[in-house]
Amino acid sequence: MTTTEGLDPAFVDDATVVVDDVSVWFGQKVALSELSCSFGPGVTGLLGPNGAGKTTLMRAMCGLIPPRRGHVTVLGHDPRGHRDVQARVALVPEEDAVPEALTARQLVRYQATLNGVTDRDAVERSLAEVSLTDVADRRLGGFSKGMRQRAKVAAALVTDPEVLVLDEPLNGADPVQRVALIELFQALGAAGRTVVVSSHVLHEVERLAARVIVVVHGRLAAAGSHRAIRDAMADRPRRVLLRSDDDRRLATGLLGLDQVVAVELADAGVTISTGNAGELALALPGLSRQLDVRLREVRALDASLDSVFADLTSR
Amino acid sequence: MTSPTALRPTGSPLRRLPALVAYVPRACLPARRLAVLALPCATILASGLLSLALDDTADAAFTDVAALGIFGLAMPLGTLVIGDAVLGAEVRSGTLGFTWLTPVRFWELALARWLGGWLIALLTLVPCAAVAAVLAGASSLVGPVVVATAAGAAAHIALFVLIGAITRRAAVWSLAIVFVIERLLGAVLSGIAQLSPTWQGQATFTGLGDVAGAPTRSGIPEGWDAVVRLGLITIVCLALATVGLRRLQLTGARD
Repeated sequence: MTTTEGLDPAFVDDATVVVDDVSVWFGQKVALSELSCSFGPGVTGLLGPNGAGKTTLMRAMCGLIPPRRGHVTVLGHDPRGHRDVQARVALVPEEDAVPEALTARQLVRYQATLNGVTDRDAVERSLAEVSLTDVADRRLGGFSKGMRQRAKVAAALVTDPEVLVLDEPLNGADPVQRVALIELFQALGAAGRTVVVSSHVLHEVERLAARVIVVVHGRLAAAGSHRAIRDAMADRPRRVLLRSDDDRRLATGLLGLDQVVAVELADAGVTISTGNAGELALALPGLSRQLDVRLREVRALDASLDSVFADLTSR
Repeated sequence: MTSPTALRPTGSPLRRLPALVAYVPRACLPARRLAVLALPCATILASGLLSLALDDTADAAFTDVAALGIFGLAMPLGTLVIGDAVLGAEVRSGTLGFTWLTPVRFWELALARWLGGWLIALLTLVPCAAVAAVLAGASSLVGPVVVATAAGAAAHIALFVLIGAITRRAAVWSLAIVFVIERLLGAVLSGIAQLSPTWQGQATFTGLGDVAGAPTRSGIPEGWDAVVRLGLITIVCLALATVGLRRLQLTGARD
């Protein structure tokens, strides 16, 4: 995936899915508002709080919901108007609904048949990829939530889709399966597939996706790597933990720095809020020498995606 | 903007149709719904037994009871249970996406869901109607009641597929259409009765049975003419359902 250099990071050069000025509303409720972005080969994380419009965006990308305004194109085609596009796109929905009377193998075979998959081994291969081969003849109604999610992933993979849209695919999966699924999605992204993943487990998205699209209140809030998003928010205070051989003296000295907004002294060390992390980093060695305090640890507390996300959603 | 990518062939409808039809009995009719379907089937059988209590010839008694019990009550309810299951219930639960998000054409989807539902009706409601005629001692009416139930079920299920394709509250609308529009308004307005699978099914039965003193409804076709009318209703409903599926918004079960 190549982000368009020097241009809006919401767009990529080699886009397979283009969302162009899309608005969707249901009655009085606006789900998406003039949202524009694009997705290309590789894994892209889609983030936002509940009700932000992530699921609506994913459904619009697949053609399940028509945009009231704007356009969505998948591989250059309208996913609602061109039925054959559906053979190249697969959605793993978040909701737990599955045809409960079917077995996992029947569901995957059903998808293979409807999508014109001719490879006879594709069904077994897809089941094996999500480790469901042993229980493939059990009804989906008896599956746990995590197993159902994996069955839906298998049903999506059997068509060998060029665009794979996964709405909270790790919900209900145990830790071992989470790791396996993350590796699977990364492998698909590395193989040139467009993989779009939404999740509330932000640290997993951090591990999973090189690029992140943040949607808040139906609008595009940010795009890029999670570090790039954080850097773009330099005007937001950052929290930094400092540990030294004399935290009390350090805290007193920090109060005199212009870059420091607030200081909190605790057993774990000194936590400060700063409006300019770069200048603080330059000032700290001098302060340390001046106070004759040895710094043992300097750690940003909010460089994770969780804090970026919290900042964006509080705007 | 990306230029359109050439799309690979996705197979012919003839290859997909068996899978689409087989999905209906496998996935759309869980045990609970089949248990509910047992009620109209029992009502049909009870109609045959009930006619034995009437002080009339067997044919006339069964014709009277079947007109109300089978065509006025059990068949609409039975086909509603089936017709809602094949599409409306899938839209509500969110499972239709598994079929919608494939290259299947909308007409294929409408046709397959109707065909699957009709086959279930042919295996449940229709045999019960035949047995009811035998139980009533009206063996000569087995043919008419089978044709009328099969043709009426075809039109009713097509109507319920249409309702499932255009509204999320398919079960409520289906009940309202059967009992308010078909039964109440259709009883006084011939224009509605002419388009009603309930009344046309009944007219098929009475017309083909040709039993003296059978309840007849003026202003609507009877016998084979009614079968043709039911066929037309089926085709029109499936055509409209295709349009409805094209416009369907699958927002998910939670919305």
